[in-house]
Amino acid sequence: MKIVFRIFVGMVTVLGLAWGDGLAEVRRSGRLLYGGDQEGGGPYVYPSEKDPSQVTGFEIDLARRIGEYLKVEPVFTQGQWDRMPEMLRTGKIQAILNGYEFTADRAEAMDSTIPYYVYALQLMARKGDPRVAVWEDLKKATGGVKKKIGVLTGSAAEAYSRRFCGEACEVIAYDGTTDSMREVETGKLDATLQDTPVASFYAPRFPGLRKVGVPVARGYYVIYVKKGEAGLLQALNEAIVLMSRNGELERIYRKYDIWNEEQGELAEIVENSRFYGYSKAFEAKLSGAAMPREEEVKLERRKRGWAVVREYGGILLQSAGMTVILSVLSFPLAIGVGMLVALGRLYGRAWLRVPLTWYVEFLRGTPVMLQLYFIFFFLPEVGINIPAFWTGVLGLAVNYSAYESEIYRAGLQAIPKGQMEAALALGMSRGMALRRIVVPQAFRIVIPPVVNDFIALFKDTSVCSVVTIVELTKRFSVLSMSTQATAELMGLTALLYLLMSYPLSVAAQKIETKLGLEAAA
Amino acid sequence: MIRVENLVKRHGALEILKGISVDVKKGDVHSIIGPSGGGKSTFLRCVNGLEEFQGGAVQVGELVLRPGMNARKDARLLQNVRRQEGFVFQQFNLFPHLTVLGNVIEAPVHVLKMKREEAVAKARVLLGRVGLGMKEDAYPRNLSGGQQQRVAIARALVMEPEAILFDEPTSALDPVMAGEILSLMTDLAEDGQTMIVVTHSMGFARNAASQVHVFAGGYDVEYGPPEEVFGDPKHETTRAFLKQTAKD
Repeated sequence: MKIVFRIFVGMVTVLGLAWGDGLAEVRRSGRLLYGGDQEGGGPYVYPSEKDPSQVTGFEIDLARRIGEYLKVEPVFTQGQWDRMPEMLRTGKIQAILNGYEFTADRAEAMDSTIPYYVYALQLMARKGDPRVAVWEDLKKATGGVKKKIGVLTGSAAEAYSRRFCGEACEVIAYDGTTDSMREVETGKLDATLQDTPVASFYAPRFPGLRKVGVPVARGYYVIYVKKGEAGLLQALNEAIVLMSRNGELERIYRKYDIWNEEQGELAEIVENSRFYGYSKAFEAKLSGAAMPREEEVKLERRKRGWAVVREYGGILLQSAGMTVILSVLSFPLAIGVGMLVALGRLYGRAWLRVPLTWYVEFLRGTPVMLQLYFIFFFLPEVGINIPAFWTGVLGLAVNYSAYESEIYRAGLQAIPKGQMEAALALGMSRGMALRRIVVPQAFRIVIPPVVNDFIALFKDTSVCSVVTIVELTKRFSVLSMSTQATAELMGLTALLYLLMSYPLSVAAQKIETKLGLEAAA
Repeated sequence: MIRVENLVKRHGALEILKGISVDVKKGDVHSIIGPSGGGKSTFLRCVNGLEEFQGGAVQVGELVLRPGMNARKDARLLQNVRRQEGFVFQQFNLFPHLTVLGNVIEAPVHVLKMKREEAVAKARVLLGRVGLGMKEDAYPRNLSGGQQQRVAIARALVMEPEAILFDEPTSALDPVMAGEILSLMTDLAEDGQTMIVVTHSMGFARNAASQVHVFAGGYDVEYGPPEEVFGDPKHETTRAFLKQTAKD
């Protein structure tokens, strides 16, 4: 019950709202919904080591202070990192605050604050590997084999290293920030290029790595808001200016050990107002309570074995609850809709049969992920705003209804024609004949394939992470990225999936055996 | 009670019934015999509205079925016709997911909205009458063919139809079981139940029917009381058919 409640609370926070004037809406609701992806990991936004159901990170601290100055409650909203602009556009969040670099392209589509952090790219290689001592070493092939460099997909680091290497070395893109750091340590990669906050924050976790050269390619993390939200933009800028001046930015960054001399540029930008689109924020007149003193965040050593299970078993189990809830809500819907579609296709009139056939073909022929995107990111454009959780339920239900309808169609067609005739001859209407005679018989036939689909749906719930739902697989990714205890978490996650689906398999087998015996008797 | 006038049924270019007229009065037992492919079963299915037809009319009590009837549009009419006409199939068509009792009370409870207890009481009487009083909890798959057909007859009787149409009710049964079913039908006939029976059993046609029709090539080539049709067949087809069945 507690899990249900927590998920409900999570659902409510994920709930997207349409609004007009950004700042007025934030003030009215008393909440600032800002988006980030925990899977990106530390030090930005990551599951707290004390309580993995809570998020922490320097951007969480930053948002908390901004909330203090704007007199609103900042609400972290989980979403897929590369989908943040869509979430902003469709009103599911009001600001993006998650290591989003300032680029001209993004500034075209969204409005950007002044920078809150100056990052650079740090090259890292294995300790005791003399082959990578300076940047130029990357271009030297060893024994005809090119050097391999790991980066985060779609990041500035990827673009930079591809430009640098050209044909001389090989760039391999990973979905997680720390994946490539581990690969360098184990020797699969020769080097990795990381944003400076990642490089310093995760240094204790990867004692086998060393920095190569000085950071390069300086860039800026900024907060993005919807285009034209001048009021909200101004308020955020003022908060950043204030925190730069009163030293709070420095205190937060020092807490995560990511303060460095590059941050000096922040003051320069603030005081000389030299930044794209930035004009009058330095007349900052906001006020707020003093920032509480907090101890420095030091990443603990990488946990191993049972410690991981003890520490993260609870939160994984809770996320498995989300998986179960998604499944048990969406599958009955899929069964109901699928049955209606099958009946319509078999017994309906032509004007009904044709669109239903297209319904099935379309849903079977396109990926469920695309369908979820459609519901989550396109429907809001036409005024239909469905919260993330219900998007997941609806998307899965609709997608599976197509498969279920095909199963039922086969099941219904397997019932001899004489059954319908006998029912009609007794004076039943077609509807009653279907309901009382044909469907109940078809139902028995389709139980095994339907249970099979239910098990498949259980595992397909993982695709819901694309619409910001955190279920078991997403939780695994997030935790594995921030703890590096991939093997243990993977085992635990697999075990949980198995524990959920195995009883269903057994039940399906029992039913099948029973039906088989009945048919033979 | 049932009046068929000039019934024509086509399947594309193929004419299956070429203008059949039959008049069934209350208490009549009409038996339809004739060679395979003569249109006997099709005729019966048209009378029940299970098949559409292209010409003529079928009048059942006050209700009239006409060509171009639509299963959806005329659903109410068809339902009312079928409530007056029970139908017993060659393949029994019992509902396999229901028990014997369930099969019999299904229509009274859901079509006639009869109280369950009342339907059960009625069903038990009828099951006793067809000799299956001990089998009410059995499922159809656990019954012999003859037992299944007896349940099917009870299922038709419980609706108290004005008439019962039998479509070759013994063709799927071995001779012993067929004999049981025929004697049950003979009992019904003697009780005054109006019936139209398509059958290959000459014995039943000869002994239990009040009228015998010989269908061949889509025509009702000869009809009359059994003593006339069997004793003094006028039509060449009838003579050939009777000669053929006598040899079997």
